[in-house]
Amino acid sequence: MTVYGGDEINALVLDPGSWYTRFGYAGDDFPKVITPSYYAEKEDGTRLFGDEQLNVPRENCEIKSIITDSIVTDWDAAFAQFSHYFDTTLQIEQPDQPILITEPVWASTEYRQKMIEQFYEQYNFPGLYLAKTPTCVSFQQGRPNCLVVDIGHDSVSVTPVVDGISLLKHSVRTHYAGQFLNDEIADYMAAKPVDAVPSFEVASKEVTKWPEGPTFTKRKVPKFSASFEAYHRAKIWHEFKETALEVPDKSLAQDKDDEEYTGEAAERLFEMPTGQQVPVGYERFQIAESVFDPHIYKFQDTEKYNYPDENGDLNIKGVYDDHRATKRQRTAEKLSDAAAESDGNTTRGLAKLISHTLNSVDIDLRASAAHNIIVTGGTSLVPHLTERLYKELSTANPGLKMRLHAVGNSSERVNQAWIGGSVLASLGTFHQLWVSKQEYEEVGADRILTQRFR
Amino acid sequence: MSANDVLDVLNISREEVSKQPQKKRVKTSNDASKQTGMARELYSLLGPNTPPVNLNQNTKNMFSKDKLKMKVSPWTRMPFEVNGKTFHHWVKGSRELLDQEQGTKPYFFDKFNIKLETPALCDKETYEKIVEDINKELQAAKTKKDEVKQEAEDTSNSKKSVAPGNTKDDSSTTVSKAKEDTKSTDDTESKDDKNSTDGDKPKEGDEERSKKTDAEKETDEKTRKDSDATDSKSQDSKSRKRKANEMEDADDEPVAKVDFSYEETEYLWDLCQVFELKWPIVYDRYNYMDTNRSLEELKEHFYRVCIKLLEGTGASSTNDDFISPAPNSALVDSLKAFSRKRETDRKVYLENLLKRTPAEIAEEESLVIEARRFEMAAKKMLMERSNLLALLDSPSTTQSVQSYQSSQGLSTLYNNLMIYDKNQKRKSSSVSASTTKSSQNPVPPAIPPVASSSIRRDRAFQTHLQQYLATFLKQGSAPVPTAQGNAIKQLLQKRLTQKEEDAYGLHYHSTEKMVQGVTLRSAQRLPALQQKQSTLKSVQMLLQELDIPTGGGTTWRPLMPTRKTMAKYDEVIRAAVTLIDVKKARDKLEAEIRLVKSQRGNHLQ
Repeated sequence: MTVYGGDEINALVLDPGSWYTRFGYAGDDFPKVITPSYYAEKEDGTRLFGDEQLNVPRENCEIKSIITDSIVTDWDAAFAQFSHYFDTTLQIEQPDQPILITEPVWASTEYRQKMIEQFYEQYNFPGLYLAKTPTCVSFQQGRPNCLVVDIGHDSVSVTPVVDGISLLKHSVRTHYAGQFLNDEIADYMAAKPVDAVPSFEVASKEVTKWPEGPTFTKRKVPKFSASFEAYHRAKIWHEFKETALEVPDKSLAQDKDDEEYTGEAAERLFEMPTGQQVPVGYERFQIAESVFDPHIYKFQDTEKYNYPDENGDLNIKGVYDDHRATKRQRTAEKLSDAAAESDGNTTRGLAKLISHTLNSVDIDLRASAAHNIIVTGGTSLVPHLTERLYKELSTANPGLKMRLHAVGNSSERVNQAWIGGSVLASLGTFHQLWVSKQEYEEVGADRILTQRFR
Repeated sequence: MSANDVLDVLNISREEVSKQPQKKRVKTSNDASKQTGMARELYSLLGPNTPPVNLNQNTKNMFSKDKLKMKVSPWTRMPFEVNGKTFHHWVKGSRELLDQEQGTKPYFFDKFNIKLETPALCDKETYEKIVEDINKELQAAKTKKDEVKQEAEDTSNSKKSVAPGNTKDDSSTTVSKAKEDTKSTDDTESKDDKNSTDGDKPKEGDEERSKKTDAEKETDEKTRKDSDATDSKSQDSKSRKRKANEMEDADDEPVAKVDFSYEETEYLWDLCQVFELKWPIVYDRYNYMDTNRSLEELKEHFYRVCIKLLEGTGASSTNDDFISPAPNSALVDSLKAFSRKRETDRKVYLENLLKRTPAEIAEEESLVIEARRFEMAAKKMLMERSNLLALLDSPSTTQSVQSYQSSQGLSTLYNNLMIYDKNQKRKSSSVSASTTKSSQNPVPPAIPPVASSSIRRDRAFQTHLQQYLATFLKQGSAPVPTAQGNAIKQLLQKRLTQKEEDAYGLHYHSTEKMVQGVTLRSAQRLPALQQKQSTLKSVQMLLQELDIPTGGGTTWRPLMPTRKTMAKYDEVIRAAVTLIDVKKARDKLEAEIRLVKSQRGNHLQ
């Protein structure tokens, strides 16, 4: 990938995500390492990283997560992971290469400070930069003014970007994202009931069809921990999510039993690792719909899966957000709208979240934001999601001209923030922005965080 | 036959005429050197169409040879420094060379590292002085506003009290309107009653006014304004009052006062500098002691202080070179033009515009289309009207009508009118095209100056005879071709006398159109013969009567078609045509006279 005005200095780009963490060199068009943000911890405390290690069942081996909500929660493990890949796959040369790290918009000052300090302490990078994820996405798309809609694993976030700088006050985030769908699927399967046996336990299988039970022979594996099983079960749901879900064309809440979604043609078979084929019809639409309408699927096991209502606000209020009921609505519409309104203030689905952001952002930026909506993140790959989103947004904001931009290449869309970071860190004009340890100590954390890493 | 041939026949050498350089003949290279690198059969298939690019021999070896000759250009991983940090990148060139160059050239991308210059903030004392100034100004503006408002109120009140007595209609509308607005108990009294009892009115008006509550003040204002609209005399007070109305809106807010501390201002300045006055971002990152400030507030404060700084109030204390001794008046003016209220209003308006429902948008669009349709209809009507007016202003018939009484005359008239009509249409269409651009107020197209005295002079309205005479006169006056002929003509005229020219039958074509190729004069069609068939028949009869021999058959020509005879013949035919026309006209006139006479005779009897 050649970048106009580029100047390669072999910078590193690190994009820690809730599901996957990506490493690579700036200037590349794809990360060198894409690894799960999980690690296996053995009894003696040694940590193992990477897909292959996580797939091996071991005795007394726990699988733990490093990152939640795109924020590092297990610092020791995180840096162990970073070091592992820096030394093995990337073979970095210190102190020649600076590093660019992506961070979510909602990262707290303490978190950012800790991140930088840890990096300076543990490594010897000549320069460091914290780039906001939406900023990276806007660079990947080459759109300085846009609205980044990131539907990831743990969270859905909507962030307006102006001149390549993310606006924090208008950013919103909810948790109705990939993990939410996973939980819904798990809940649905548990209620069906379908026993989820991970593939590493299956030696041989025969195809059966639900409600008939699975017929398979178990493989002899060492005694594994519950966290290991949970991790591998989650992988099954992940696969289900990727293969079976489909966003319906219209809201299911309004048209409950449409033949299109309840009929035979809508049904798909999902094969469990045990060979048991599970037919899913309406639910595969219902669960996908929950991205837009989080209450459409009712959890059976409400104790296990508890998602409090979220309106996405990051505790910041918009000035011009005084949405009034418009004049010329019919009363019936008004009522339903008012109901939706009150609902929308406590729980915001994807479309409402975006509309809310658009309505709260400064009016002068609104048109360009609406015209440059970038949809990114793995969960956005659910079929027909962007089409539905366009439809919902256009009806909700008739005065604005909407345009959605979603990268066609699925692997690019998943790694879009990393690619953007790669573009950013390979620009010749960017190199003045790296912050060295010395500078950090001289200027002070506060100033660096608010003014340099903007 | 070229001019050269003519000169050759006439034995005239062409000395004076400069010789053109002979065209270089392109040599067709015929060297069919053996081609390699291509199958012979394939090459022969190319035929004569050899490709423009020369198929070179040993193409096979060329690249490899060049490659061998070329040297690998060295790339070196060089360190470079940006903002005090050292990074490494690959640069073209050998290490020795680059080592020499090291440090001489700045980093290529350094030139993009530009910062926006904002006026530096002054120290605390001057800032406080500036704030004081601003507060004073605001207070002054406020009191001024109040004064203006008061004044406006006074004038309006005085006018009001005078108005009922002044004009009857005005007072009645005021009262009736006020009545509608307030819905007072006077409903039982009809408007007619008020009109009938003149003396009651002022009192009633006062009563009404006293009843009005504060909440209804706004409607009252409107009413007053409306009453003003009816009064043509109170133009100046009206404008003043409108101003006062505007002021009143602004007065709803408490007295504005700068409530930014010096520290907060410093913070704002810092953000503006860092984010290069990108206001949305400045606003986004503004987080000072949990103060909730709007974007407009920040802008207003920044601009206000900047004005003061630029105007030099703070110049004495600041040593920044940005502040020039002579303040940039244009910049200050543009800064002064900022009004927070207007800005917020603008945003609210935009907001409302965006919050329209699809139905509203559709309605608005249909309204716009309808309005446009109305406009078009109005324009069309205006156009038709002007056309009608043009028709009314038709050519007067002071001229002889007889010329149009023959079928030929009528047809020419018809043709003329057609051409005229077409022109007019074209003109009007261009006019309408220009008016659509300024569709705000369609201007009716100007009434064309039809059939004014000037047009009567036009050829279109000349009689046939006049036309003939005019052409005849023209022919007579300028029969000699213009002297500026071509070089050959000059050459010939130099060498040959008039007699010789005649003897050779030389003729210089000057004005007439030439037919390409060689034609026989006997086959030439005379211009005078472009007449109607019926006219031609009578002309033929006339010629026979006069014993003028014609070539016979269908072609009309003299027996011996020399140039001279042909010219004369043409003239004769023209004359004959004119004669016939004149005779016809005369006959008609006589008939008419006879008719009129007989009618008169009947009358008299």
